[in-house]
Amino acid sequence: MSTEERRIVVLRSSDEEIFEVDIDVASESQTIKHSIEDDDSGRVIPVPNVDGHTLAKVIEYCKKHVETPRSDDRDAQDALRAWDTEYMKIDQNTLFELILAANYLNIKGLLDLTCQTVADMIKGKSPEEIRAMFNIKNDFTPQEEEDIRKENQWAFE
Amino acid sequence: MREDWVVDAPIVGRDYQPPCPDQVIENVLENVLHFLTARRDRNAVSLVCKSWYRAEAYTRSELFIGNCYAVSPRRATERFRRVYSVVIKGKPRFADFSLMPVNWGAHFTPWLSALAAAYPWLEKVYLKRMSITDDDLARLSLAFPSFKELTLVCCDGFGTSGLAILASKCRQLRVLDLIEDELNDDDDDDGADWISCFPADGTCLESLSFDCIEQQINFPALESLVARSPNLKKLRLNQFVSLEQLHRLIVRASQLTHLGTGSFSPSQNLAPPPGPGGNEPDYGPAFAACKSLVCLSGFREVVPLYLPVIYPVCENLTSLNFSYANLNAQELHSVISLCHKLRTLWVLDTVRDEGLKAVGATCKDLLELRVFPIDAREDSEGFVSEVGLLAIAQGCRKLRSILYFCQRMTNAAVIAMSKNCPDLVVFRLCIMGRHRPDHVTNEPMDKGFGAIVINCKKLTRLGISGLLTDEAFAYIGKYGKLVRTLSVAFAGDSDMALKYVLQGCSNLQKLEVRDSPFGDSALFAGLQHYYNMRFFWISSCKITLQNCRQIARTLPNMVLEVFTNMPVAVQDEDEFVDTLYMYRSLAGPRNDNPSYVRIL
Repeated sequence: MSTEERRIVVLRSSDEEIFEVDIDVASESQTIKHSIEDDDSGRVIPVPNVDGHTLAKVIEYCKKHVETPRSDDRDAQDALRAWDTEYMKIDQNTLFELILAANYLNIKGLLDLTCQTVADMIKGKSPEEIRAMFNIKNDFTPQEEEDIRKENQWAFE
Repeated sequence: MREDWVVDAPIVGRDYQPPCPDQVIENVLENVLHFLTARRDRNAVSLVCKSWYRAEAYTRSELFIGNCYAVSPRRATERFRRVYSVVIKGKPRFADFSLMPVNWGAHFTPWLSALAAAYPWLEKVYLKRMSITDDDLARLSLAFPSFKELTLVCCDGFGTSGLAILASKCRQLRVLDLIEDELNDDDDDDGADWISCFPADGTCLESLSFDCIEQQINFPALESLVARSPNLKKLRLNQFVSLEQLHRLIVRASQLTHLGTGSFSPSQNLAPPPGPGGNEPDYGPAFAACKSLVCLSGFREVVPLYLPVIYPVCENLTSLNFSYANLNAQELHSVISLCHKLRTLWVLDTVRDEGLKAVGATCKDLLELRVFPIDAREDSEGFVSEVGLLAIAQGCRKLRSILYFCQRMTNAAVIAMSKNCPDLVVFRLCIMGRHRPDHVTNEPMDKGFGAIVINCKKLTRLGISGLLTDEAFAYIGKYGKLVRTLSVAFAGDSDMALKYVLQGCSNLQKLEVRDSPFGDSALFAGLQHYYNMRFFWISSCKITLQNCRQIARTLPNMVLEVFTNMPVAVQDEDEFVDTLYMYRSLAGPRNDNPSYVRIL
């Protein structure tokens, strides 16, 4: 096959949605990139862990970051950061789906962006608030919790 | 909403199960934690659940130890496994005023042993008010092959021979900042020539500060060092570097962003009398070429005649430290009137109220001001007053931090500042003469400090002085809810004063009190709170040894140290203890105290 013919890659989400994507965009995902390298026959690449709604969102990110040239220009960097910030204005479910997808698809930039967003949610919160936010069970005994609280406060604050 | 690359979207619905947040986060927790650096956040995360505790302990890269005796080095290194950067603080601040006996403690050696064993990849060490020996410096150089940054603030115990070893062995050193340290060999004629010891084929140095070293350095070696340090951005010289020498350095280093100018005076052996022209180099263009300069300090023996050479850099300056520069109002004005972007200014009170008016008129973005006394004695003349404070209050509305030494003040000026500068986080007013009232109304300074705690709602650090009754402390206890650090000298009438503070200031972490009429009952008032504080220092008050013992019995995790500022044992028969220094500790009483420091 010639280079021109191989520009498009076809992805299929877990819920059978089909996406035709430029190969450079798809290759932002190391997982997909390796898939293509292993088998370049042009068949559809299944993405079983990611649903269509999320995959669309992932592709949106990859497209933007591939299209934006790397630049030392301050304004260009600020503009891309602003785009990322807008992009991350999503509900919590989408956020978690995105984290799973970025992790599975191995897209470093997107994984860092989503993790930074989660970190920003954690900043300034108490342990109780963090647990409530992410539905985490407190598996410390009261004594264990008290001991850590004391050690944190007396030694490391 | 769908883009044009979506070819086929299914119509059939499906069972949608939202992902479980805790499981999702679990998979990427270390990545999330990578973006959390503040220790408050890290401490909160460690309490969420066991797996988060483990992940946090594994990923905390900066270890902060606020009191080197509050926890053992072993315990710290056992919990945190991948630390790259360590901050350790030792003695309390009053040590700076010779209020602690020699060799009191805060030794780095045991920490170094633990760090060397646990973190061979360690890159950064920051120590404040610790004792570090030449031996420690040598061991550090050998123990950490990737070592990059050493910052020592108000430390002692080491000398130039330790620095020589560090310079020669730490080939990746980027930062060596010695700030207000007291070196051992200051009295010797020749210390080690440490400046010559840096790698000959080039260095990674980005910051080199040695303004506190009170010794000549090898200037040709320094020149060569600067020439082979292409990444050098911050250079702070000591007073043994003359103007001509400074000139030679900055023509090779116009990329500097921070410069400590050394003496800022011509060398003594210039044949014709000093003055621009003659056979002196033209300093102006060299400074003008430093287009990235944002921070200037030094001026240790400033000859004001030469100040114009810095005019070209003033418009970009954000930080100016004139605290060693004996300048008058006019001399300050000539510089300050060009510094529109200034955010930090340190000056001597020789600039007088007039000089401060110039600051208020120009420096609209000023965030931090410190005015130091050229003569710190109680009965000194004092060159600034409420007039200067008022000028600052009127001109610098964004002020966040102020330290102001004076001999005369009024409540009105302090009240004005409290209203004009609502963003104040740090307010430290030092009226040097004891028990001085408002010099216009002759009233105590209670209302002024009261206004500060009432109006400055972000205040976390407060230093009080002047004639103060219990009323001032009542205000502080009632309104100073965010105050974490409080410094009290020669103030208050009775134990009630201290009670107000200990029972009212719920966030109080550090309390230092001296020369005030507080006795045993005041100390008891704080029993509920002491475990929440990093330390409590109280000296030259009316505390009995008996009472200290009682407190030690009541609070088993509190370490109570009793001493004087001389290496002389505390006598049981003394009516009052000289100094009580107490702090909570997980490690129990230390065993490295000298015999004249008694631990109860």
